[in-house]
Amino acid sequence: MSIAIQNITKRFGLHPALREVSLDIREGELIALLGPSGSGKTTLLRVIAGLEFADARDGRIFFHGRDVTDLSAYQRKAGFVFQHYALFNHMNVYENIAFSFRVLPRSKRPPESAIRERVTELLRAVQLEGYEKRLPTQLSGGQRQRVAFARALANRPEVLLLDEPFGALDAKVRKDLRRWLREFHDLMRLTTIFVTHDQDEAFEVADRVILIDKGTIQQSGTPTEVRNNPANSFVAEFLGLTEKHDPLAKSECQ
Amino acid sequence: MRRRHILPGFGLSLGYTLLYMGLIVLIPMSALAMRIFSGSWEHFWQTVTDPRVVASYRVSFGLSFLAALLNGVFGVMAAWVLARYRFPGRRILDAMVDLPFALPTAVAGIALTAIYAPNDWIGALLEPHGIRIAFTQIGIFIALTFIGFPFVVRTVQPVILQLSAELEEAAACLGANRWQTFRRVIFPALLPSILTGVTLAYGRAVGEFGSVVFIAGNIPFETEITPLLIISKLEQYDYSGAAALGFVMLCASLVILLISNGLQAWNNSRNGTA
Amino acid sequence: MERLKKILKMPGATSININSSQPLRATGDSLAVRTLLISATLVFFLLFLFFPLVVVFEGAFSKGGAAFLETFRDPYTRHSIVLTLLIAAISVPLNTVFGIAAAWCVTRYRFRGRSFLITLIDLPLWVSPVIAGLLYVLVFGAQGWFGPWLREHEIRIIFAVPGMVLATIFVTFPFVARGLIPLMQAQGMKEEEAALTLGANGWQILWRITLPKIKWGLLYGIILCNARAMGEFGAVSVVSGHIRGKTNTMPLHIEILYNEYQFASAFAVASVLGLLAIITLILKTRAEWRAEQELRASSFSTAP
Repeated sequence: MSIAIQNITKRFGLHPALREVSLDIREGELIALLGPSGSGKTTLLRVIAGLEFADARDGRIFFHGRDVTDLSAYQRKAGFVFQHYALFNHMNVYENIAFSFRVLPRSKRPPESAIRERVTELLRAVQLEGYEKRLPTQLSGGQRQRVAFARALANRPEVLLLDEPFGALDAKVRKDLRRWLREFHDLMRLTTIFVTHDQDEAFEVADRVILIDKGTIQQSGTPTEVRNNPANSFVAEFLGLTEKHDPLAKSECQ
Repeated sequence: MRRRHILPGFGLSLGYTLLYMGLIVLIPMSALAMRIFSGSWEHFWQTVTDPRVVASYRVSFGLSFLAALLNGVFGVMAAWVLARYRFPGRRILDAMVDLPFALPTAVAGIALTAIYAPNDWIGALLEPHGIRIAFTQIGIFIALTFIGFPFVVRTVQPVILQLSAELEEAAACLGANRWQTFRRVIFPALLPSILTGVTLAYGRAVGEFGSVVFIAGNIPFETEITPLLIISKLEQYDYSGAAALGFVMLCASLVILLISNGLQAWNNSRNGTA
Repeated sequence: MERLKKILKMPGATSININSSQPLRATGDSLAVRTLLISATLVFFLLFLFFPLVVVFEGAFSKGGAAFLETFRDPYTRHSIVLTLLIAAISVPLNTVFGIAAAWCVTRYRFRGRSFLITLIDLPLWVSPVIAGLLYVLVFGAQGWFGPWLREHEIRIIFAVPGMVLATIFVTFPFVARGLIPLMQAQGMKEEEAALTLGANGWQILWRITLPKIKWGLLYGIILCNARAMGEFGAVSVVSGHIRGKTNTMPLHIEILYNEYQFASAFAVASVLGLLAIITLILKTRAEWRAEQELRASSFSTAP
C-alpha cells in the first residue's frame, strides 16, 4: 500500500516537532527514518499510525489514495511495533498475537480454528514455535520483540510501522533481527517504515533512507545515493562523511 | 473534524466524572454558598465571632496544630524505624500504621474515652495524681494525634526509602558523625515531606468529629469542637448559623489544602527526580 | 524508574509504596540508637494503636459471652447492621465506577483544568464530615433548596436512608480514584496504544487491557472505600436524625448505646467494626503488595 504524507506539522506546546513534512512512499518499500534524538522521526511515525494527530493546518495523510487523516488509530489498521514491545503482560503469547482477532466485531471474526492456524503460522515465521503458553515476563528481550512483530502482523495490516524496534536489545540479537527483518520483507513485500538513530541499521536494511533533523526531511534516497551525495552539511556530518578530524565523530573506514 | 485525543472515551469519561462530581459536590456546595450570600451579614458575623464559637476555634484549630506537631515527631521516628530497620514484627507494625485510617471514628472515640476516663485503665492510674485526661483538652489532643498519625508516616516513609545511600556515605567520608549526617544531610532532605505530612495531619484533625466527640465531654468554652457547634445549630434549625460556621471551616480547609499542595509540589521537586 | 516513584508518592494513607523491598543498608545507625528508636516506636505503637483495639475487645466481653451475643439479638442492633451493609452496598459500587472513569479521564488525556479536577477529587478528604452532612441538609432539608418540593411529594431524603447514602458517597468517593490515579499514571499508555493499533475500540481497551492491569490497585481502593463507608459517623450523623430502627447505622448505634451507658453492648458492636478494620488492614496490605508487583512487572516490559 502506498503512503502519501502532505504538509504535516506538529507542535508539542511551543516545540515544533514536525514542520510541513511531505513524503511519498511506494507500495512494498522498506523505508528507514533516520535522525538524531529529537529530530521528529518518532513523531512522524506516530502521526502515520494515528497515535498522534497533526496540527490542523493543511496536512493530510493518504493510505493508497484514501484520506485517513481524521481516522483514529484503530481505524487505520497500521501494524505498529513499539520500542519496548508493549506486550500485554497479563496475556500469554498466544492471546497477545490473537488479540487483533478477538476485538473484531462478531460478524467479521474468523472461527477459533482459523485463528489458531494463523497464530501458529506467525510463531513459525518468527521462530517461536511452542511458545504459545508463555507469559511475556518469561521471555527474553529478543523473544518479546518477535512476539510484538507477530502480534502486529496477525490481522494482515497493509503497512508495518516500527519504532526503534531493536533499540532495547543487545548487539548480537540486534544483528540477527535486522537480518530477519530484511528477509521477511523480501518475502512479504509489505510496506514498512522503521525509525532508527543507528545509521548502520538503516543502511543495511532499508530500500530507501530518509534523513530527518529538526522536524524537516533533509534528504531521501537509496543508501548508496545518500552516501555518495550528501545533500547538506547535516547529512554529511550525521553520517560521518566530513573531512574534519573530530575525534568524537564516527569514523568512516570505507 | 479533528480529534485531539488518541484513546477513545474522553467525552464519556470526562462527562461522567463531571456529572458525578457536579451532583455530589458542586451542587451541595452552591447551596451552601447561596445560603451564605442570601443571608444577612450581621447574622453571619455574629455567628462566627460569638465567644463560644471562637473558643471552639481554639480547640479545633489550636489543638489540631499541636497534635500535628506531635505527629511530626513520632511519625518521623516511626517512618525511620519502619523504613530503615529490620526486626521481627516489623510488617505488623507497618500495617498497624493505617489503623486510625481504617478504624471507624466512633469506635476510636469510645475506645479512647474508655482508656482515659477517670475510672478505667490509664485514666484510673492518673486520677489519684489529679491528672484528668478524658473530658479535657488533653483528651482531645490525644484523639487528634491518633487520627493524624498515618498521614505523617506514609508521607515521610517513601522519601526515606528513596534516600540514596551515597549521600550518607559521602558525608561519612567527609568526616561527619552519625548525628551530623542526620542533621545536615538527611533531615533537610526529609523536611519537605515532613511538612507535607504535618499539614495533611492538620487538615484531617481540624475536621475530625467522631473520634473526638466522645472523649471531649463537650463542655462549652472548654472542650467543644467547631463541628459540634455546627450540629447543634442544625438541631436548633439555625440553618444560616450552621452554614456560616460551615463556610468558615471550608475556607480554612481550602487554605490548608492549598498550602499542602504547595508543599507537595516542593516535596516532589526535591525528591521526585534523583 | 525515578519518575514512577515521584508519581506514586501520594500523601495520606492511600499511597502505594513501590519501594518496600529495598535492601537494608550496610552502614547505618549504631546498635544503641537503633535499640532506642525501635523500643520507643514499639511503646508508642502499643500505647497508641494496639491499646485502643484491645480495649474495644475487652469491653465487648466485659459482661461475658452471653451478654455479647444478646446485643446482636436486639432488633435495633440487627437493623443497624443491615443498614450499614446496605449503604456500603450502594455507595461502594457507585464510587468504583466513578473512580475508574475519573482515573481514566485524568491519566489518559491532557486537558485544561486537569489538575483542578484532581484537586477537586481530593476535596472530601479535607472537609469535615459534619460539613458533608450539612451540605446535604442545606439542599434537601426542611429549609433547604428542595425542602418544600420534597415535602409536597412526600419524598424523604434527610432523616432517611437516601440522604445517608448521599452523605456516604460524598465522603468516600475519592478513595478508588486516588488508588488508581498514581498507578495508571505510572503504568503508562503503551499497552492501550498497542491495543488501539490492533483494532480495539474504547470499551475493549478498558475491559481487556486496562482493568486487568489495575486490578490490585482497584481492589485496594475498593477496600478502603468500603471501610470508610461502613465506618462513617460524622456525615451520616448529621443527616440521619438518629431514628432507631430506621436510620441508625452501626456507628450511630454505638453512639446511642454508649450514651445510654450500655457500654458492653456499645463495645460489642464496636468490636465487629474493629474486626472489620483489622481485616481491612490485612487485605489492604496484600492488595498493595500485589499492585506494587504488577507495577514493577509492567515497568519491565513497557517502560519508556
